[in-house]
Amino acid sequence: MRIQLENVGLSFGERVALHTLSLELSEHRIGVIGLNGSGKTSFARLIAGLARPTAGRVLLDGLDTVEQAKALEGRTGFIFQNPGNQIILPIIEDDIALGLKSRGVDGADLTQRVSAALNRFGIEDLARRRPHELSGGQLQLAALAAVTVTEPDLILFDEPTNQLDLRNRAIVKDTIANLPEQAVIVSHDLDLVAGFERVLVFHEGRLAFDGWGHEALRFYRELAGC
Amino acid sequence: MSTRDLVLAALFTAIIVVLGLIPPVPLAFLPVPITAQSMGVMLAGCIIGATRGALAYVLLVVLVAVGLPVLSGGRGGLAVLMGPTAGYIFGWIVGTFVTGLLAQRLVSESQPALRQMAGFLIAGVVGGIVVVYAIGMPWLSFITGTPFDKVVTGSVVFLPGDILKAVIASLAARAVMVGYPLLPQRA
Amino acid sequence: MLNSLHIEGASWLHRMGTGWKLFALFVISLALTLIDNLPVLAGALFASLIVARSIGMKERMLWQRTKPVLLTIAFLALVNMVLLSPRDGLVILLRLPAILFFASAVTASTSLSAFIDCLTRAAMPLEKMGLLRAADLGLALGLVLRFVPEIHERYRALRDAHQARGIPVKLHRLLGPLIISTLKDADSIADAIDARGIRGQKSRH
Repeated sequence: MRIQLENVGLSFGERVALHTLSLELSEHRIGVIGLNGSGKTSFARLIAGLARPTAGRVLLDGLDTVEQAKALEGRTGFIFQNPGNQIILPIIEDDIALGLKSRGVDGADLTQRVSAALNRFGIEDLARRRPHELSGGQLQLAALAAVTVTEPDLILFDEPTNQLDLRNRAIVKDTIANLPEQAVIVSHDLDLVAGFERVLVFHEGRLAFDGWGHEALRFYRELAGC
Repeated sequence: MSTRDLVLAALFTAIIVVLGLIPPVPLAFLPVPITAQSMGVMLAGCIIGATRGALAYVLLVVLVAVGLPVLSGGRGGLAVLMGPTAGYIFGWIVGTFVTGLLAQRLVSESQPALRQMAGFLIAGVVGGIVVVYAIGMPWLSFITGTPFDKVVTGSVVFLPGDILKAVIASLAARAVMVGYPLLPQRA
Repeated sequence: MLNSLHIEGASWLHRMGTGWKLFALFVISLALTLIDNLPVLAGALFASLIVARSIGMKERMLWQRTKPVLLTIAFLALVNMVLLSPRDGLVILLRLPAILFFASAVTASTSLSAFIDCLTRAAMPLEKMGLLRAADLGLALGLVLRFVPEIHERYRALRDAHQARGIPVKLHRLLGPLIISTLKDADSIADAIDARGIRGQKSRH
């Protein structure tokens, strides 16, 4: 998917979250790093259509995320920082089925696609479990199953490993690394994005660096002063 | 209705259900312990406002109707909605709406603390007590045939507890107003 | 934690359509409310017990499930006997439990999903009028059931934190933090719903 930002800006009243920015991305793996409040999450939300640009426009494969939102429906998926709040229904497999059901999928097709999604992330045994019984890592995998089941072309991750312990972090990281889908990953976890073809560094609402993963990391460490 | 409003209402319904799971709290100067759940009407109206609050209670009544024991003491099912006290349960929906309307009118963020508390207290007493009883008592009288004036007299014993609940609810509503104001952004 | 009052089974009442069951319950309740004849009311009470038995609900279970309401009815019957006449007390002592037991039988013989499907279908005309989205009902009920255990957990954590600091556990001190910490999740939950396109594109922003 080709992501284009044309003179895009985002502000909330007086506060500027993202200064005017033009950019084109089409890499398979795109990392986004920056300090807290640097505008990196706003950047991801703009691409997913969760935020409307207050200036300019965002295009995905040439389609405007605001004007042509309907045509883009289902083309992007979003994995959030908090693994728990993404699971909306009391039973994991019902939750995974929800996105399909709301698009009119039912019967054998529904059952088959839900179990395929569970299999894909190795969580078949969680099908009938309740979210509050699961670990953060298990929840994040369930959220991935729920998001990928509707087959989006691009998945955005907003600090997906932030609230996980070391072991769950490794599992989720591994899963993301092996994901065939195109992905934009916003993270504090520098190892997660180190090997990426393209990493953007945001600082105070501006794009401060755009380039190879390792170079971006070097730049970011100097910027953060450590 | 925005997704956020729908979620706020559903989360509040979940809070009301949880309040029903907490053991009743005994109070020194009242003969019966009070259930935290019975404060829900005042809390919902004062905290998430009229529309979202009433929706939270519609969801609660639907949960009761579909057979989940979500009311305090594990009560639920259609039987509760067809019994003599069902009027109070339906009254909760209207009561929350009225509490919310009054709270939105009377309370704003710029007022001093005491003024806010007074506003919440009035909203809670009118919506959570007057309105709920105004619907619950005639229903009870109609279903059982007990004369209305006798039902009114009998209900007076609950008044001190209800007023105390309104006081506690207004303290909590004010705490939420300070920590995470939702009332001003109406649904 | 929140086990439905539904009882698994395949009785005649289980197989009956949910809409019909609710309609029948409504008609029976209305009829019993209008009838004032003692033998007929006694017959209705007996019939309600038979119906309850036919779907696997013994009297003991009926008692457990309707105890608080039955006690209220008994008290009001007593009041009526004293204030009005013994007959007036007896009427509600027969009529109201009969209605209660019929209602309990409908509740026990209908699964949660059957109820929600029925309600969603009933809400369809309202959707056509543009008043609400019928599918939102299932979503909202799912959300409630999803978050009850978490909020209960949160309540216990808050209570423990108070106890650990030696602060007496007072309801008014717990309510504020409990409600704030719960409602603060609304934004991220709403984001997750919108990002998955569950309510359609219209609801975004």
